Formats: sequence, C-alpha cells, structure tokens
Amino acid sequence: MTTATRAPAPADWARAFTEATDGDPEIQAHGKYFTCAYLLDMTDHTFVVRVVSGKVAEIAVDPGPIDVPYQFAIRASADTWRNFGVPVPAPMYHGIWAATFQRDMKLEGDVLVLMQNLRCLTRQIELLRSVGVPV
Amino acid sequence: MAKISPVTGHYVDVEVDGLLYKVFYLENGTGTPLVCQHTAGCHNHQWRGLLEDDDITANYRVIAYDLPRHGKSDPPENSEWWTEEYKLTADHYAKFIVALCDALELENPIFMGSSFGGNIALQLALRYPERFSGVIPVEGADYSPGFYLDWWQHPHANAAQVCASGVWDLMAPQSPDADRWKTWFYYSQGSEAFKGDLYFYSVDHDLRDKLGSIDGERCPVVMMTGEYDYLTTPEDGQRTASQIKNASFIEMKEIGHFPMSENYEVFRGYLRQALETLRGKQPARA
Repeated sequence: MTTATRAPAPADWARAFTEATDGDPEIQAHGKYFTCAYLLDMTDHTFVVRVVSGKVAEIAVDPGPIDVPYQFAIRASADTWRNFGVPVPAPMYHGIWAATFQRDMKLEGDVLVLMQNLRCLTRQIELLRSVGVPV
Repeated sequence: MAKISPVTGHYVDVEVDGLLYKVFYLENGTGTPLVCQHTAGCHNHQWRGLLEDDDITANYRVIAYDLPRHGKSDPPENSEWWTEEYKLTADHYAKFIVALCDALELENPIFMGSSFGGNIALQLALRYPERFSGVIPVEGADYSPGFYLDWWQHPHANAAQVCASGVWDLMAPQSPDADRWKTWFYYSQGSEAFKGDLYFYSVDHDLRDKLGSIDGERCPVVMMTGEYDYLTTPEDGQRTASQIKNASFIEMKEIGHFPMSENYEVFRGYLRQALETLRGKQPARA
C-alpha cells in the first residue's frame, strides 16, 4: 500500500519532527525523563533522533557508518514508513508493535531503553501521522 | 438531582481448586444472563458502555466481573499467593467461570469475553457446552502466541507504562481519544497480573487440533474480531470459526482489540448482530 503524498526532504522533515515533538502537549506533560537516542531506519534514509528530557536535542540525517551512537533501532521498509505517515493509517501500520508483529518492522538494540521510554516514544512516532515521512 | 447509574456492584465468594476468591462484579438489566470477561491485565470497567446500554439491558442481565487479581477482586483469600509466580491456566480459568456462574445461580448464560476472554470462551465451549447457551469470543483465536513477555514486569522499566502503552497499538486510530485513554489508564493498573494472564493467552491456550471437538450445536459460537487487532487478526478469527461446527464470524471495521472499551458505539452495532445471530442458532433446550 502506498500513499500519494510527496515526501518532504530529509532535512525539512527533521525540522518538522523536532518542532512537532517539542510542541506536543502530551510529550511535554510527561517527557521529563524521556531521554534516549534511537535510529529510525527508513531504508531510503536513516536518522538518529536524540531526545533529552522530552525535547529533540538533535536529529542526525543519513549519518555515516559508526558515526552517531544510538541505543535502539526501529527499522522498516520505506513502504511501511509511508503507511505510517498518513493521518489515519491502515491496519498494521498504526504503531510500532502492530508493524513489528504483522509487517516488516524490526525493533533492535537495547530494547529495554525503548521500553523505558515507551509512553512518550509511542506518541512521538504517532506524530508521523501529521508530519509525514521523508521517504 | 443526582445522576445515579442503574449499574450495581456486589461481591460473591467463589471457591475453585481449593482457592477461595471474593469476586467483584457489576451488573445491570434483566433477562438472559450475559457474563462478560475483561481482557488480560484489565478489569470490568472495559464493559462500562454495555452495562449502561438500555437497549441491551432491557433483554439481558449483563454481568461484568473482575477476574481474581484484577480490579476489585483480590488474589486468593486462603493462600500465600505472594510466594508463587502467577501463571493462569486454561483449566483453572474455565473452572472459575463455571463456579462463578454456579455461585450466581445463572441458568443458561451467554459468555462473552475479549482477548484472553475470547480464548477462554472457546475453552468453555469445548469443556462445558452444556453450561452455556452460547459464547461470543471477541478478539479470540485457536492459538495466540507471542505476548508472554518479560517486558510487562521488568523491574528496570515502568511496568505500568509498558503495559498501558504496549497495548496502545491494539486500538484503532479511529476510536475516540477519551475512550482509548481510559483503556490505557486501566492498563496502567494491572501490570502485576498481566504477564500471568498472558501465560494462558499465549502459552497454555492452544486449541489448534481441538476446534473440531467443540459442540457448536449445543453451545453455539459467534466470533468477532476488529480489523486493527494485530495479535488475533480477522484472518485468525475467521480461520478459527471456520473449523467450529455451526460457528459464525463477524469482522468489525475501524476498531481494534478492545472494542467494547475503545469504541462502544461502533462495538454495540456488531454486538447486536452477534446476539441476533446467536438467537438464530439456539437449540431447543429441555
């Protein structure tokens, strides 16, 4: 399943995702300890998102090999991510658990850190529904 | 004037396998008993919409209980339960439900449960077809592996949030925020029971070679599954129902794994359809 929307440029997307996170009432209400760095592997582009206390400190766009450290990775095909980046995702593209159980998403690395930040991370990934995805 | 709900709450003693439970249940309505099981790690407020549904409670006595270790039903009164790991088995779970129905002196009740309640509905139809006038497994399947995870109770993560946000994706994006967040909130309260419940759900429950033995003439089965359920998908529900004699399957659109709790307005339409289908399958009873 693909969507007709045009993908934003990676750098523009990184800015929009940062603004959406930093301005999100839920993340800002509950993100005092939301601190982690994770890789978003969208196949055509990769990003390391570093969050500190609920704010995006930095998003590394297409970092080189072993360039930017991260604690866990969320990997999926560009097509899967495109299905995340719509206002109302189709079944099995509506969250990282759904896509991991039923599609090609993989949760890798230190999954404990993902679990420790699950509440705010879940919300942050849902921001893709309004921000879109750069693939 | 105060707005007081017609829903009432009671406690009833239930003994099963030598364990004494003081069981809390909510009820409303008159007619055929409709006994409702919440999902794993949750409690009976998931049925809040049904309990106050005037159309259904006009013809059904809706009873939504808290399984022991959930909501207001404590762990056993007569054992040192804190010295043992909680792992719910199909055998104990099924016996408990029959004992509860006995304690409440219910005649030919319908049993409806969601998720691990849907799976036990299938077990009840297999084990005790003479005790129920039908079962409605919601979000159930013959087999549902993959959710018996240590993350639900890991001491290095916030178990309340892991359980609540871990099941968030089981709900549909179309469901109202307020109802999804209530469901999330319930899940933040049940982490100590969730993993043990899932021992039944993902490990002990396996009816893959037993569906043909369910007496669906005596105890008709109507299954329902939401299209956003990633654990027991509509395909799983369809596959399961197709192997049970006299069973029906209903796919629910734009809803997920907690249909009665995440979007009752959508669920109630499908539930009426399920109850109607069940009525059409009733065998003549002596």
